[in-house]
Amino acid sequence: MILQGLLFAMFAGTAVGCAIGMVFHRNPVHCALLLVAVLLSISGLFVLLNAPFIAALQVLVYAGAIMVLFLFVVMLLNIRGESPLLTTGSAKGFGILFAIIVFVELLWTVLSPSTELSAPTSMLPRGFGSPAAIGRVLYTVWLYPFEITSILLLIAVVGAVVLAKRKFL
Amino acid sequence: MDTAFLIESAVKVCVVLGFILLGVPIIVWMERKVIGHMQDRIGPERVGPYGLLQTIADGIKLFMKEDLVPAQSDKVVFIIAPALTVVTALVATTVIPWGDTVQVFGRTIPLHVADVNVALLFVLATTSMGVYGVVLGGWASNSKYPLLGGLRSSAQMISYELAQGIALVGVILMTGTLSLAQIARAQEHLWFVVPQFFGFVIYVLSAIAETNRAPFDLPEAETELVAGFHTEYSSMKWAFYFLGEYANMIVVSGVAITVYLGAWHGPVLPPVLWFLIKLSLFLFFYVWLRATFPRLRYDQLMAFGWKVLLPASILNLVVTATVLALRSGP
Repeated sequence: MILQGLLFAMFAGTAVGCAIGMVFHRNPVHCALLLVAVLLSISGLFVLLNAPFIAALQVLVYAGAIMVLFLFVVMLLNIRGESPLLTTGSAKGFGILFAIIVFVELLWTVLSPSTELSAPTSMLPRGFGSPAAIGRVLYTVWLYPFEITSILLLIAVVGAVVLAKRKFL
Repeated sequence: MDTAFLIESAVKVCVVLGFILLGVPIIVWMERKVIGHMQDRIGPERVGPYGLLQTIADGIKLFMKEDLVPAQSDKVVFIIAPALTVVTALVATTVIPWGDTVQVFGRTIPLHVADVNVALLFVLATTSMGVYGVVLGGWASNSKYPLLGGLRSSAQMISYELAQGIALVGVILMTGTLSLAQIARAQEHLWFVVPQFFGFVIYVLSAIAETNRAPFDLPEAETELVAGFHTEYSSMKWAFYFLGEYANMIVVSGVAITVYLGAWHGPVLPPVLWFLIKLSLFLFFYVWLRATFPRLRYDQLMAFGWKVLLPASILNLVVTATVLALRSGP
């Protein structure tokens, strides 16, 4: 139990610290790296929550693939300047607005009585968080949301290809 | 979570770490010797018997060299990048099962450091993190050739990761598990290389690209990019990149053996020895490829990954799933 507490403090502390660093850092590549550190610490938290499958996916998809592409773009654009990325007032306003919305949503979920924050991990059913269990739930209970999400992603992929190819047509 | 378990884990970590770190100089020596003979040369022979200590001498030389950090580089990232390559490769070795369980002092000890039930995903995740070492090293050098090498590497590794992952799904479908130990145990009678032959071929090809080895070593193509992503590196930082590369070779070979080539199963000899024999043969195959094939052109490499390997791996997945579904009945 003590070990778990220590690990939680370590992962949570790293996540929060790196997230703050990501927001305040000027160099875009450093920001991207700090975001990778945040994602890795969150995957550590998932392991502590008995969800190794989601932890592995977190690293594989977000840290291993999406963030590499982010870095790829940043390097190609070669944004090295010390100037902040967003300077216009309206963009900043939008950012703050969305941050507040997400914060309120999270607070709402945490504070609502249906969320049990203190559920001990020993009460979990056998096989909780295993790939089989997640797959079964994903393809039965959450089938429609799952399929809609995949179609959304497909639309984004097709859209990216269309936008990129338009110059050459 | 008792004391015995902690001691057992610590010992296993030390043994595996020592094996990898001592194994890398031997692989380097083997590579130079084998390529030498394939090209009708003798290879290293001056230091120690058959030149066995040559790599140690090279290591000492690298240790003594001046450690250069370019003035215009991003210093923190420049220093972290080589370490990332090594750390990700070494972390991945923890889930490879070197043998079945053994009995020591009345305790049953499985011969892998950590029994993760998503071991296969864990390996894929850590190797995908390995891209950062190369990309960041190329970027932090603040120089043209390393940047190009780093960009190539990120594109190449992401492209080949897909085919590699989808090829492995065939075996996951057949066994119904992601645990490497259980996949290994399922091959007692039939190695998966037989029913999953195409998956095996796709995995091996993309693993070579994933570890940046010839003929897919575009990130460090010396004919066009000087030395690619590690042009600005010297001394031990440079050596770290090579340590990482060879450790990665051990990881992908270990996974290939565990998943397709029957892991530790084999007649007469003890299981661990069988694993090591297969590992050596696989690494020899790597060296053999390097001595045989010329380097691909960059566009050929990307076209091969996206237009040949990826469709082939998806086809393999569909066929496997169909056969399994037909066999299990309606």
